[in-house]
Amino acid sequence: MRVSRTIRVSVAGLAAFLATALPAAAQLVDDSLMVERKALFGAVVYGHDSWDRYWEGTLERDNENVGTLTTQSVTWVANYGVLPRLNLIAALPYVSTEASGGTLQKQSGLQDLTLAAKYQVFDRGSFHGFATVAAGLPVSDYVFDVLPVAIGLHSKQLSGRFLLNYRRESGLFAEATAAYTFRSNVHLDRPAYYTDGQLVLSDEVEMSDVFDYTVRAGYRGRKLMAPVYYAQQRTLGGGDIRRQDLAFVSNKMNFSRVGAMVVYALPRPTNLAVRVEAARILDGRNVGKTTTVMAGLQYTLHF
Amino acid sequence: MRVTIALAAVLLAAGCNNSVTPTEQLPPATPASTDANAGQWQMLVLSSATQIPVGPPTDAASDAYKAELASIKQAQAGLTDAQRETIAYWSGGAVLRWNQILREQVARFNLPPAPKPDGTYPAPSAANPFADPQFPFSNPPYAARAYSYVTVAQFEALKAAWAYKYQYNRPSPSKVDSGIQALMPAGDLPAYPSEDAVLSGVNEVLLKLLFPAAVDDINRLVGEQRTAILLGGKAAPSDIDAGVALGKAVAAVFQARAASDGMRSAIGTPAQWAAFVTATQARGEIPWQSLDSPSRPPMLPFFGQVKTWAMTPTDIVAERPQPPPSTSSEEMRQELADVKAGVANATREQVAIANKWSDGAGTYTPPGHWNDIAAEYVRDAHWSEVRAARAFALINMSLHDSAVGCWETKYFYYNPRPTNLDKSLKTSIGLPNFPSYTSGHSTFSAAAASVLGYLFPGDAAAFTAMSDEAGMSRFYSGIHYKADVQGGHDHGVRIAAYTIKFARGDGAN
Repeated sequence: MRVSRTIRVSVAGLAAFLATALPAAAQLVDDSLMVERKALFGAVVYGHDSWDRYWEGTLERDNENVGTLTTQSVTWVANYGVLPRLNLIAALPYVSTEASGGTLQKQSGLQDLTLAAKYQVFDRGSFHGFATVAAGLPVSDYVFDVLPVAIGLHSKQLSGRFLLNYRRESGLFAEATAAYTFRSNVHLDRPAYYTDGQLVLSDEVEMSDVFDYTVRAGYRGRKLMAPVYYAQQRTLGGGDIRRQDLAFVSNKMNFSRVGAMVVYALPRPTNLAVRVEAARILDGRNVGKTTTVMAGLQYTLHF
Repeated sequence: MRVTIALAAVLLAAGCNNSVTPTEQLPPATPASTDANAGQWQMLVLSSATQIPVGPPTDAASDAYKAELASIKQAQAGLTDAQRETIAYWSGGAVLRWNQILREQVARFNLPPAPKPDGTYPAPSAANPFADPQFPFSNPPYAARAYSYVTVAQFEALKAAWAYKYQYNRPSPSKVDSGIQALMPAGDLPAYPSEDAVLSGVNEVLLKLLFPAAVDDINRLVGEQRTAILLGGKAAPSDIDAGVALGKAVAAVFQARAASDGMRSAIGTPAQWAAFVTATQARGEIPWQSLDSPSRPPMLPFFGQVKTWAMTPTDIVAERPQPPPSTSSEEMRQELADVKAGVANATREQVAIANKWSDGAGTYTPPGHWNDIAAEYVRDAHWSEVRAARAFALINMSLHDSAVGCWETKYFYYNPRPTNLDKSLKTSIGLPNFPSYTSGHSTFSAAAASVLGYLFPGDAAAFTAMSDEAGMSRFYSGIHYKADVQGGHDHGVRIAAYTIKFARGDGAN
């Protein structure tokens, strides 16, 4: 088995107040790895996010009524090679959250199903280009108006992504990817809310679109892959958390994050690889200062 | 191909994240009746409709008035789109519009102070409203009082305006001069003094008093409203000046009342807070404790002594609910077990009900929620401005008296929350920082539903259903026992009866 054929699942999307555009395994769409035709790759990944400080607007603070917020997830991922240059991807996380302080109940449930199509646009020497369209669809009626313990934001999402990869024979590689994500409005259980300086007399909340990018570099060989990355997310609208207020679903959730991962293909059984990842949010706005660790197993089936 | 179609469908769905259209739209108001006799309706705070003198307007044939009309015509000749929007914004009934604005201010300022590094909490200061913490913290009692001051003052000021309108009988500019367009419906109501200007005067004074840090918004809104009624051909400058003066003068009476209604002592002192605990323990009961971290002083523990509208202090004590079950009783153990099972087994629908009525920090509070509910009924009734003002005044009198009665009860018994008695109990919404018995939501909701049922008898059953749902929402979320809900409900009904008794005899029926 070649590591380069494994799927890399980046679950770093579970950061913060569930802040990313396509939470959880949706970000598997952001890499340069393709599955060969008629091959099915699957992965199960456990993720653990936690923070005890967050940004109230731009003010970094702690809050004893939250204590440490811990988000755990198990994400199932599948990627099927339809054509040599076209992969179809699906992912579904089960998420649970708990605050160590305060009296708010913990939350858990199936979150958002990701469906994506990734196409290799070109392949010129050391340069490779990929385009991905991905959709995020909430699969359960989870409560999202209880930040920070909500398991997700419950917005339908559609993103378009492009990725440019540069790879040398030695296995060293570098790549950059950026995406624009449209998000559907969401409906609260309540008839009015105040955000961004306005009382809105409606249960409907406008969700701004999101832009994100990642740059990544590292080694990718037959048995081992080990990149580091830097990522940024910008919510293109939304208000800040006010002083001593609760976070709200449409807040402007921005952050920058660094991370590193290792994928190692086991000698036996073949077609099985283990992966670990760690990431940390460096700076943010209306998000938790999140530390993420993940571990998973990946397998390959050829038909 | 199928995938492509599915993705395209999602793109369309996701792409529709356009701006939200609010409910509670206010189309141009067209009252079915002018309520010409409203100047004779009974007063609540003013001694009579003519306590504040309003002198006669200049004669319609005078040069001064003709010059006013000419200025309107000239202004109407060059209206900008922005000015037309302002006219439309204020055409939907100023009582309703100012109520929306009031709800917005309550939500804006309904945030508790953040703790200091030493674990204590700073108190909001009216002298320094722009600081951190901002002033006020418009929590439910503060909000109930604010809604009531503004709406009762509006009602009193409009009754006075009606008395002068029908004493002087000066028509609106568009009726006097056919060259002036009626861009804002004026009906057959006499224009002097302008009812819209009266409302702008009342709100200018009282909103700045209650929400001093919102001064820029308030100045902008009162200015826009006065411009709108002038450009809309509804009121001449002298109609507006007389209305603003009357509104401000009535508001000053309420400002004086507010200065001595007991609100200043409602926060109490650390020694007084400690005394609640010892008094409760002396009765052999487990006292309430703040579960905010760090521990936060109780919310407005002496609000129960604030002056009411339709009740006397004796009435407040007489209507106080019977004691809750003793914290050591088998009955209380059962109540607690019910809460724990209720929140643990809550259905998604029950969680939605808990969220719908949560009305916690950062919202317009439960009294605001009932103003929200009332607004569409008042709008659809096509009432005159003075009758619309009466509806909001009555609702908010009962809500304020409920806040006083409920807070008096809460601090009389100082009963612990379910989360105080069982530390493993978790809630689905934020936990309020004051004693449990009785439920404020249940009291507010039962009172407002009673008054709304009096105003709109055909919809009484719907209001009762909403009130019951609001009460049970507190049980579903794990923050109240059923005894709190039932006790609050019955208390709210009794409190509303005082307001309804006034309403039945005020001459408006």
